[in-house]
Amino acid sequence: MLPHEHFSASKSLVAITGATGGLGKAFAVECASRGWDLFLTDLSTDLLATLAAGLRNAYGVNVHTYPCDLTDPAARADLFDQVRALNLMFWALINVAGIDYEGLFTENSVQQIRTIIRLNIEGTLEMTRALLELRAPLAAFRIINVASLAAYWPMPVKATYAASKRFLLDFSLALREEVRAWGATVTVLCPAGMPNTPENIQAIEAQGWLGQITTLDAGRVANETLNAALAGKAVVIPGLANRILSLFGGLAPATLAASLIGSRWKAARQKRGLFQEAPIWQQA
Amino acid sequence: METDLLNKTFVVTGATSGIGQAVAAALAQRGAGIIGTGRSPERCRQAEARLRALRPAGSINYLAADLSVQSEVHRLADEVMETLNARGLAHLDGLVNNAGTFTYWLALTPDGIETQWAVNHLAPFLLTARLLGALQAAPRARVVTVSSDSHYGSHIDWQDPQLRRRYNGLRAYGNTKLANILFTLELNRRLGTQSSVRAFAADPGLVKTDIGLKGTPAVVNWVWKLRRSGGITPEESARGIVFLLTEPSIHDSAEIYWKDGHPKRASRAALDEQAAARLWALSEQMCGMKNEEPAYASA
Repeated sequence: MLPHEHFSASKSLVAITGATGGLGKAFAVECASRGWDLFLTDLSTDLLATLAAGLRNAYGVNVHTYPCDLTDPAARADLFDQVRALNLMFWALINVAGIDYEGLFTENSVQQIRTIIRLNIEGTLEMTRALLELRAPLAAFRIINVASLAAYWPMPVKATYAASKRFLLDFSLALREEVRAWGATVTVLCPAGMPNTPENIQAIEAQGWLGQITTLDAGRVANETLNAALAGKAVVIPGLANRILSLFGGLAPATLAASLIGSRWKAARQKRGLFQEAPIWQQA
Repeated sequence: METDLLNKTFVVTGATSGIGQAVAAALAQRGAGIIGTGRSPERCRQAEARLRALRPAGSINYLAADLSVQSEVHRLADEVMETLNARGLAHLDGLVNNAGTFTYWLALTPDGIETQWAVNHLAPFLLTARLLGALQAAPRARVVTVSSDSHYGSHIDWQDPQLRRRYNGLRAYGNTKLANILFTLELNRRLGTQSSVRAFAADPGLVKTDIGLKGTPAVVNWVWKLRRSGGITPEESARGIVFLLTEPSIHDSAEIYWKDGHPKRASRAALDEQAAARLWALSEQMCGMKNEEPAYASA
């Protein structure tokens, strides 16, 4: 018997945002392989349909999909209306959707900065709010929020992104206490970079040995995180090297951490030919 | 100019470089019609031009398809049938499942499948199923799947056959090469001993190709360059595959794993008939073939 079936009256779903990206897809596959029915959302209708068909074939689970731009409040409202109209119920929510436009703060456009905040923070919080209302009665509701190892330090070159992930880390730990009385849990995942795209792989390569030892495959991260969420754990940091690094974040003063990370990232970017010393508007 | 294969037609996947291109070229030089496949339309165009230069009057077409995506495998199968049609043919004399990939990090395909499992195992499984009718329409036909000695030491973990939870690129690669032989074993069992279609798995040997250089970390590139420096050329390797496609005397052979014209011993895990049947059922399920008409007649 699956952990949630013990409590749940009807067959309820796991919702996953960012479901067609590297980590989201790994979560979707891992959940499907455990026999759990799914509700998947992401931007592309085609990619959602392809993944859903693959999961139905391979694992025989029910998969609902709904394409949605989670940065758009109106699109989010439509998504929640649709879910209510279909009477869908959930026993778990995995907030994976998130974005970064790596670069100096002054290299990012205002629109890019807005998108980071709207997706990483607004999207995650509104999904969480809506699905808490749609949780299956009597089920132990499980929330997994994907933050990042970047949540542990101020990070130059990823300033907005890292701060948005810090927001999610603090928010998740606080919400966890609020929903404890309902038998609900919040687990926050803080992974290091994952080798999901050619750009990510390049970035890991450019970090040298530290990139290699901090990097874990998304499949392993998804599996370990689901086990941790079912056990009600608060924080998951996959990989021993990463757990040690996160401790360092607690011990070192924030200014020192920011300066060390800043020099490492700048060196890595220089190696990839991406680094600009002066802001764009000064070069023009 | 050799003409002994003038009326034969072969499909060769991954035929824009390496072993696949060498097989296609060797067949074309003997007059065979070729349908080659590759992932990049541009590289397909270039390879087609190279083969036409070898055999200007030959029937040579390349079709582009990304074999990591199942809908693309279906589209490729449709286009192969259309190409045969356009040549006034209804049969195929051989299929070489050569296309293969290596991924150092876990990458899931759009269908949600580990990439090596999808490209190296499921794509040959599905493409063979789709082309079996055309192969059975030929007086005699062969299905040659390129495995390798990387299958030694591999076994399929049925709890996690794609190694999603504990990924290791080399182990995952070895598993797919094991799956190639198990597929061949079960295909022959299903076809039966009287079948006009025979399947063989080939050990290509250590060949100087770029398989270990595509999207892999610098250290893996370096190790692969060192390893392949002692290897044979794709042309030398292709001889063994062309032999399996064309040699009449081996049609009723019970041997399934071959290198350079000689049978060789596959690992015990690769000759496990129960594992082969189980892999078959799993592959059918993963390709969405469970609720359809069986693509393969049972013996």
